[in-house]
Amino acid sequence: MSRDTNEILDHDYDGIREYDNPLPRWWVALFWFGIVFGIVYVPYYIFGPGPLAAEEYAAEMAAAEAAMPEKKELSADDLLVAQKDPARIARGKETFGKLCAACHVADGGGLVGPNLTDEFWIHGGSMADVVKVITEGVPEKGMISWKTQLSPEEIVDVSAYVKSLVGTTPANPKAPQGEKYTGT
Amino acid sequence: MTSDLETPTEALSDAGLETFAYDDAIVRKFVVATVFWGVIGMLAGLLAALQLASHHFNLELPYITFGRLRPIHTNAVIFAFVGNAIFAGSYYATQRLLKTRLFSDTLSKIHFWGWQLIIVGAAVTFALGITVSKEYAELEWPLDVAVAVIWIIYAINFFGMLKTRREKHLYVAIWFFMASIIAVALLHVVNSLAVPVSLFKSYPIFAGVQDALVQWWYGHNAVAFFLTTPFLGLMYYYLPKAAERPVYSYRLSIIHFWSLIFIYMWAGPHHLLYTALPEWAQALGTAFSIMLIAPSWGGMINGLLTLRGAWDKLRTDPVLKFMVAAVTFYGLSTFEGPMMSLKSVNSLSHYTNWTVAHVHGGALGWNGFLTFGMLYWLVPRLWRRKGKAPELFSVKLANAHFWLGLVGIGFYVLSMWAAGIAEGLMWKEFDADGRLVYGTWSDTLPTLFPMYIIRAVGGALYITGLFMMVYNLIKTAKGADTEDQVAQAPALKAEVTEEKGHWHRLLEGRPVRFTIYTTIAVAIGGAMEIIPSLLIESNVPTIASVKPYTPLELEGRDIYIAEGCYNCHSQMIRPFRAETERYGEYSKAGEFIYDRPFQFGSRRIGPDLHRVGGKYPDMWHYNHMLDPRSTSEGSVMPAYPWLFEDELDLSLTATKLRAFQIFNAPYSDDDVKNAEANARAQAAQIAEGLQAQVATLPDIRDKQIVALIAYLQRLGTDIKQAEGSAAR
Repeated sequence: MSRDTNEILDHDYDGIREYDNPLPRWWVALFWFGIVFGIVYVPYYIFGPGPLAAEEYAAEMAAAEAAMPEKKELSADDLLVAQKDPARIARGKETFGKLCAACHVADGGGLVGPNLTDEFWIHGGSMADVVKVITEGVPEKGMISWKTQLSPEEIVDVSAYVKSLVGTTPANPKAPQGEKYTGT
Repeated sequence: MTSDLETPTEALSDAGLETFAYDDAIVRKFVVATVFWGVIGMLAGLLAALQLASHHFNLELPYITFGRLRPIHTNAVIFAFVGNAIFAGSYYATQRLLKTRLFSDTLSKIHFWGWQLIIVGAAVTFALGITVSKEYAELEWPLDVAVAVIWIIYAINFFGMLKTRREKHLYVAIWFFMASIIAVALLHVVNSLAVPVSLFKSYPIFAGVQDALVQWWYGHNAVAFFLTTPFLGLMYYYLPKAAERPVYSYRLSIIHFWSLIFIYMWAGPHHLLYTALPEWAQALGTAFSIMLIAPSWGGMINGLLTLRGAWDKLRTDPVLKFMVAAVTFYGLSTFEGPMMSLKSVNSLSHYTNWTVAHVHGGALGWNGFLTFGMLYWLVPRLWRRKGKAPELFSVKLANAHFWLGLVGIGFYVLSMWAAGIAEGLMWKEFDADGRLVYGTWSDTLPTLFPMYIIRAVGGALYITGLFMMVYNLIKTAKGADTEDQVAQAPALKAEVTEEKGHWHRLLEGRPVRFTIYTTIAVAIGGAMEIIPSLLIESNVPTIASVKPYTPLELEGRDIYIAEGCYNCHSQMIRPFRAETERYGEYSKAGEFIYDRPFQFGSRRIGPDLHRVGGKYPDMWHYNHMLDPRSTSEGSVMPAYPWLFEDELDLSLTATKLRAFQIFNAPYSDDDVKNAEANARAQAAQIAEGLQAQVATLPDIRDKQIVALIAYLQRLGTDIKQAEGSAAR
């Protein structure tokens, strides 16, 4: 502020006067900083080494891929064990009530989605098939993929519960769809 | 630097003086309108805030669902409250700065009543779902034309005063008003260009990313030339008037004026960072936003330093309190804005409540407080008791208003900052297994609800202060006289050409030249960004599998627009892992070439919808639109029962396709001829599909919902067709 000259100009607009103080130095520096920033920034991203959005994305995906823990796929035997695990079935029932019942009804009788209590399956009736359908979904039929919302463990839980429904009697069963599956 | 007209008028002999009266009656009208629309606009905002805290506040009334109410709120506050404040403030100040009466009393009246009618028209049409959906430019074309006409009348009335002025040189406040009038006219006309298909429906001449670029060039500069430069004009008049101190630096005025109006126009693309907008335009947006800090702060320091030697007045004078706080908020917002324009910050802040915090710091702090300060100063002068000095009814009450308003802004901005950062982080958070922690959208909502309540409390405090002001101003005006103020000044000597002096000082005496330079300064930025993006084809790489919408999907899209879905849902997936994981492949420019208007959105109150097509079955959408909480537990979305009752109107479908033919969309003449039949056939297919699943479901083939479902199921799917065929 010390540079203020407080030299008053002969301007008078409806009683408003004006000083002609010099521009504060820090303000002038800020002004030039902006201009230099702009001159450097645009060429850096458009012609220079600055990463384009698609390049940033590729790098981010590669880093995520590298950091991903090794997937421990459950073997067929593990799945058979999991399928009979009462603790898993109980946890799966809870998830089913929250997320699946909207289309398959709480008792599995089916509404928008197919009946899960009969022996007929559109995309295969083994434990592994059920896990796959829940994980990847069947978008063209309206079954969404749950892998972003449920962990692999949670999907196994729900699958175990779904398998446990076979043979139960729902209130309003939907007509059977798909192929008969008689395995475990 | 000398001028022969600078001597105080009293010193001149009576012989050279002309006597004239200022038109204060029209200023009073605009003042009343400012206060009236301020109350309406802010109450609409409070209701919208409550709707986000609980969906019950939508009342299942179509006219006030959030998607229709938000544009009512934003338009009422920007164009009705702030707009009328600009007209009141600029008309009062300019008459006195130029020592002349308003150019035409008739034009003034047309200006006033025309503007108020447009506001009423806006409120009614938005409530009815008649909207273009471009933010802060939602008016359909007949009202757009009306705005242009009234704005030109404002321009004639304003620039006419330059012709009849008795003051040779134009003061800095006038420069800002001039730039505002020119720039707003330019922005409004270009962004509103559209082909009408009926009185209430039109399609913009730009599509997809180009439409987005034009819209945000407009949107950003509506902030610049409607909310900022006119208010700098007001600041330069009312602040030194109230402080009774000279302006800090004339030099600073010149430099920050020209740099501000030139640079502002380039910064629009910062609203579209990481979108499908060409990256050269994005880079310009960021660069010019950083350049904008100093010119903006030039205005702030010129305002604040004008108070040197008068800081003690701040303790007692509510007018100065409001103004100083306003200028400070201006400084904060114009620093925060450029920071949010940096890619790294923007990747977190965009689509979140952080943006909401940012704009409300500006709107409540800068625009609101400066308007309140101006009103507390103006009203006692416009409604004056004979023979008495201007006096406010209660200074104490005005001071209380100030503190209440300040606390209200604090609640508002802090809660929305917290909400914005919290949701931005939640959207991006992955667990150790590489899955999104908040994979279900509604999982993020419980964190936000308390903040929404705090925000609503802040808004309520602010509005309480507003009501205190209304009472105070009514009491001040009651029983006062309302005569036009009479003034005397010598006529401007016919063309005494000034040859000597600083070049800018000479320019200030030549309004025509000043206007031309201003027009050039504001036109360059937009032209340099928009024209290449329209002309250079590589800016929007075409995708062969992207096809125009079917007639039913197009109708569904228009329902999506009418309901204001874009207010809560974006259609622009950014190239981030957190977004492609949640929504699917990131959005490409070529996917939007048939989108008129574009629907990128600017805020995610709900999830992005660009790849929602095929994600859920039709039945899911049916249930979700009827009762969002039946499919999405904890959702804040309003229910849309009327879409299941209202008839689907296909009378314009063929005309709409014909309009798209004008835009070179590949519809054949047969497509146009059979538009309605094709739409009916697709509607029947969807309705029958639903009934095949649940026989008890009503037939929706003639209802609006069927079109909306068709549109939603199409969204973002064309690009998958390409992948599918490539795999085969």
